[in-house]
Amino acid sequence: MSSLLVDFRIAWLSLLEHRRRAFFLGAAVAAVTALLVLLNGLSAGIRVTLIDTATTLSTGHLNVGGFFKVTSGQAGPVVVDYEKVRETVVKAMPELDFTVERGRGWGKVVSDTTAIQAGIGGIDIQREGSFKSVLRIKSGNLDELSQPNTILLFEAQVKKLKVKVGDAITISAQTTRGVANTIDCRVVAVAEDVGLLSQWNVFVSNDSLRALYQLRPGTTGAIQIHLKPRFQKDLGPLAARLRSSLEKAGYRLMAPDPRPFWMKFETVTREDWTGQKLDVTSWEDELSFMMWTLSALNGISLVLMVILVAIVITGIMNTMWIAIRERTREIGTLRAIGMQRGSVVRMFLWESFLLGVFGAVAGAVVGAMTAGVLNSAHIHVPLSVQLFLMSDTLKLSVLPSALGGAILLISIVTGLAALYPALRAARLKPVDAMSHFG
Amino acid sequence: MQRRTLVRSFLFFAALSAGGLPRSASAASKAELIELLKGVDDRQRNQGDWRSNVYIEQKEKDKVAVVYDALVFRRSADQRFMILFTKPKASQGQGYLRVDQNLWFYDPAVGKWERRTERERIGGTNSRRSDFDESRLAEEYDPEDNGEEKLGVYTAQVMTLKGKPGLDLAFPVVKLWVDKATKNELKRQEFALSGRLLRTSYYPKWQKIYSESRKGDIWYPQEIRFYDEVEKQNSTLILIKSVDLKPLEANLFTKAWLESKAR
Repeated sequence: MSSLLVDFRIAWLSLLEHRRRAFFLGAAVAAVTALLVLLNGLSAGIRVTLIDTATTLSTGHLNVGGFFKVTSGQAGPVVVDYEKVRETVVKAMPELDFTVERGRGWGKVVSDTTAIQAGIGGIDIQREGSFKSVLRIKSGNLDELSQPNTILLFEAQVKKLKVKVGDAITISAQTTRGVANTIDCRVVAVAEDVGLLSQWNVFVSNDSLRALYQLRPGTTGAIQIHLKPRFQKDLGPLAARLRSSLEKAGYRLMAPDPRPFWMKFETVTREDWTGQKLDVTSWEDELSFMMWTLSALNGISLVLMVILVAIVITGIMNTMWIAIRERTREIGTLRAIGMQRGSVVRMFLWESFLLGVFGAVAGAVVGAMTAGVLNSAHIHVPLSVQLFLMSDTLKLSVLPSALGGAILLISIVTGLAALYPALRAARLKPVDAMSHFG
Repeated sequence: MQRRTLVRSFLFFAALSAGGLPRSASAASKAELIELLKGVDDRQRNQGDWRSNVYIEQKEKDKVAVVYDALVFRRSADQRFMILFTKPKASQGQGYLRVDQNLWFYDPAVGKWERRTERERIGGTNSRRSDFDESRLAEEYDPEDNGEEKLGVYTAQVMTLKGKPGLDLAFPVVKLWVDKATKNELKRQEFALSGRLLRTSYYPKWQKIYSESRKGDIWYPQEIRFYDEVEKQNSTLILIKSVDLKPLEANLFTKAWLESKAR
């Protein structure tokens, strides 16, 4: 133990002795760590924003949706008598935090100048607290969405449709029986864009959506289930249990299909059944068409991380080679006065590890602070980037675990990078080392 | 159109477009305005059936003008309403039918009925169903006084009409100029609730016709011009070429009747 401490002390003194070199190398390690922290922050930021936005705007952690078929060839994304379904869900899921009912539709939104196709979400704004917290309202009053024939649009849609709060627009869609129907809606609120989801989603009151699709009052599109935070990770077993409970309650269920509901129309329409079938999906299923962005980002992060680590290893090894060459006579002297080969190895490893720890801690602090500054600056990103970031501003999420992970990784990698040069140094014969010049 | 009529129309628009002379200080009470609106409605109401032959011309920026001929059918008793397009050939057989406050559009090319709202642009023009129907301003709007204005030779009562709640209206806010002497509408400006001006309408020619069902004369706008205030270079002209107030067939206001006209 005392030998370890001696090695540690010599390593520490050596670092102080060569403080200029240690400073530059430490700064390089810090820069790499800061980059790693920012990269992780970006990836985590997108993931957190995606989940927060998506689970508020278009899906719960779990959803009980489904289709109602009037004839085998006509399907509507509808859950009839949803209150009864909700009762079964509440009984089956003690992990549940709260549920909301959302109407589902797709139609043409027509202004006085142009038209866009959009997913139409039916919403009961009085019961949706988190909805208000996620959206930033640019103009109008979101609470007015409780009135019939009102609509919430997003900034990009408003620009495209050339409308503002108070203007009227018409929504045109086909009912579940295939009749074209229209309703007029007044724009009551305009929200800031929230990435891809706000590009094609508009929100009307549930009653307006029912009027558009000529549905009965007890009908909705899906019951969105929001779980308590500690149950939000492992959704597979919960979904399986929910399916089983619904089946036991007498409901017919669709086969598990990890796709969003709007991708299932073709399959459902081809199937030979009529009436109601329920479908249980997770938020990952409903957003599977977007998950590739996360996978791609994770892939890019991994590649960049490997490159950064390779840079660290190369830098440390190179520096250690130089240090050993410069300190060959010092090594020879230490060996001559009785230092064992193992101690020489440990000394260099300590030196490198200490450099790594200090550099990584400094880099992590710089990275976290930079992330904080970037977040508070609310940097607006171009529309094409917004689609993937799910936000109109750059958001980085630096978690303590990610910081700890980055420090640990860089410290260990830095320490290990010195292993080979340290072994080479330890193999030097004291006589040769002491007589070394240059 | 005759040369004299053209000149008269031009003078009318020149006077109306100029915005009129400054308002007088006299203010009308709400009751007086409602009475005036009732008067505007009443002089157009024949309390019977109506059949008119209508010419519609739609001009749009960078496009060739499109013209339609249509037949308009109305029945005062139960507020029935129907439009049947007769020209051009591409639109022949298309029509609108109002049943129980619901406006339906029929296209024989697809053989389907589609439910439309009061904001529907009839035949894609800048006209709405209410432009062809009986005037119901007093029932549909609450008036606010905007004083008097001189529009050329006319002294107009100006008022802002706000749509009554719960009604499906093409325009929720209308600014209306009514000739004080004749109670004929002269001009309208139609707004969205946001205050955005959507359309300006002019009623340069009014015609009277004897109504047997009412036992007196009724008035109708022989010419209406709509100017799109959103797409500034678009405009619509409506000419009511002939009016017939004889009773219509009992089964006329049905989907089956309109469908049969396309066969």
